[in-house]
Amino acid sequence: MAGDQILVVEDNEKNMKLFRDVLEATGYRLLEATTGEQAVDLAATHSPNLVLMDIQLPDIDGVEALGRLRGNERTASIPVVALTAQAMQDDRKRFLDAGFDGYISKPVDVVEFVKTVKEYLRKEPS
Amino acid sequence: MINVRAAPARAAAFVKWRRLFGRADNPLVHGIARLPAKVRTKLLVSFLGIAVLLLLIALLGLRVLGQSNSRSESLKALEERAAGYQNLYTESTTFRDLLAYCAGGADVGKFLNGGRPAPGSTRDCLRSIDRTVGTALAGLGTATRLGFEPAADEAAIFGQIKGDYRALNGLVARITASSRPSLALHARAEVFADDLKIAAATLANRTQNKTDALVAQNRRAYSGSRNLFLGVGIGAIGLALLLGFVLSWSLIGPIQRIGGRLAAIASGDFSGHVDVPNRDELGDLGKNVNRMNDELRRLYRELEATSRHKSEFLANMSHELRTPLNAIIGFSQVLREKMFGEINQKQQEYLDDILSSGNHLLSLINDVLDLSKVEAGQVELEVATFSLREALERGIVMVRERATQNGVQLALESDPNVDLVEGDERRIRQVIFNLLSNAVKFTPAGGRVDVRYQQLNGELRIFVADTGPGIAPEDHERIFDEFHQTDEGAQQHEGTGLGLALSKRLVELHGGHIWVDSELGKGSTFVFTMPMGSA
Repeated sequence: MAGDQILVVEDNEKNMKLFRDVLEATGYRLLEATTGEQAVDLAATHSPNLVLMDIQLPDIDGVEALGRLRGNERTASIPVVALTAQAMQDDRKRFLDAGFDGYISKPVDVVEFVKTVKEYLRKEPS
Repeated sequence: MINVRAAPARAAAFVKWRRLFGRADNPLVHGIARLPAKVRTKLLVSFLGIAVLLLLIALLGLRVLGQSNSRSESLKALEERAAGYQNLYTESTTFRDLLAYCAGGADVGKFLNGGRPAPGSTRDCLRSIDRTVGTALAGLGTATRLGFEPAADEAAIFGQIKGDYRALNGLVARITASSRPSLALHARAEVFADDLKIAAATLANRTQNKTDALVAQNRRAYSGSRNLFLGVGIGAIGLALLLGFVLSWSLIGPIQRIGGRLAAIASGDFSGHVDVPNRDELGDLGKNVNRMNDELRRLYRELEATSRHKSEFLANMSHELRTPLNAIIGFSQVLREKMFGEINQKQQEYLDDILSSGNHLLSLINDVLDLSKVEAGQVELEVATFSLREALERGIVMVRERATQNGVQLALESDPNVDLVEGDERRIRQVIFNLLSNAVKFTPAGGRVDVRYQQLNGELRIFVADTGPGIAPEDHERIFDEFHQTDEGAQQHEGTGLGLALSKRLVELHGGHIWVDSELGKGSTFVFTMPMGSA
């Protein structure tokens, strides 16, 4: 839904700008984090509707950040989608096994990206 | 009362005793192992030692045999003497008795009375039994002629006997010759006869004693020899066994331990060292095994490290190379979608160019990374049984749009009997897509691409045939090289030139082959094989 809040976790400036511009143009509000720790804090305080998380982050990696989100009952039920440049089959399986609700391959196809985000937001239990 | 304090001491002693008979810790075994001599030398020396022991036993046996032989000979000699003296005694007794008989008859009384000699007087007696006396005397004489030399202590007595005999001989002759009975002569003859008889008895007894003593001595000597022989024999056997045991364990022990270590190394365990204290070739062998172990461990670790570095590198590269493309492709798309305002024709055109270049670059990166992974041995196939027909159908679906755009007909001929194959489904789909997209790309409008498959000699063959320009025979192998593109391909500025190279690697990873049947102007049929599924 428009007005939903999305937390984007991404350490690359240009990538973040792309996600920001596209998502805001689509009508969503954005929370931005550049590290896993930041993401966990923001998620806990703001309870966004969706988290888009880059796997390769500077401090704790995406999988561990996910673990912490799932461990905290405030954030456990928020859907978390992995953004990953590693689109190999074994990696995909690894992310899904780790507990991500889905993944989006980088580089993103902008049109597909928007569609996918809408789908995950729709699936989210209100 | 049980001495409790002694119990542990006894236990310790028992353990020590056991260790002595154990193999590895045995100090003797250790001692032999530590000898700085070649194995060949040790073996030679041991066998020589055993040969010497055998020789010793043989010599001892011979000596014992010789001693026994000489003893039985001296016994025989003694018995001969005993027999001789006994004979002498017997004869002298006979003679003496005869003499006594002649003298001790009723005539003795008549004689002593001074009466006239009655018939059967001494002289007559001697005469009448003259022959008997004579024979007895002769017998005595013969007996004095022993068949042997009397021993030193016997010689004196024997001399005496001979003297007595001579005297008797003389006396009896005088008695026989005289016409009157001679009591005095007779008495003297009796004295000599007694003397001789006693002397003979003495000799016989003495010799008998000597014989008895020798027999007893023999018996003792035999026991002694037998015990000595047995003792030496058992000792030699024991020594030989000990030598064999100790030597073999000093050789076999290390061999077994080395064998164990090598088996461990073969299964990837480099953690231990083998302990071979030998100062011979086996010791060298042990040292070398340990060096090999360490070297292998080092190489293994290096290999593992290198492999880890490679996969880390590839993962990083994958990420690093794709990151800028996010911005290039992403922002171009955003503009193209007019999310931030209208764009004119030229801007649209340029954006399309940027996008297609970006996507091309992305394909190149994907292919290069894939190929690098395969080359680096970093690709592990996820082998499973899957449906070939489905994979082919999906491939066709993916190129159908492009084919329709190009005016190329697509067809798949399925075989209902054959379907399941074993392999990495994703990778095989990659190969199928590569072959199909090439086929569609290189087939001009109005052409067709046919896909079919069949089972042949236990493997599956998949055919992708197009009606394109064909490939010259000299290029049939080169097209599978990296970055090779035929002239047509280069003209179209598409593709990475890596597709076939990657397909070839992937097919070969599955144990299959890939090749092309083609002639210029007659289209191309790409064929690859796969092992049958275990359905």
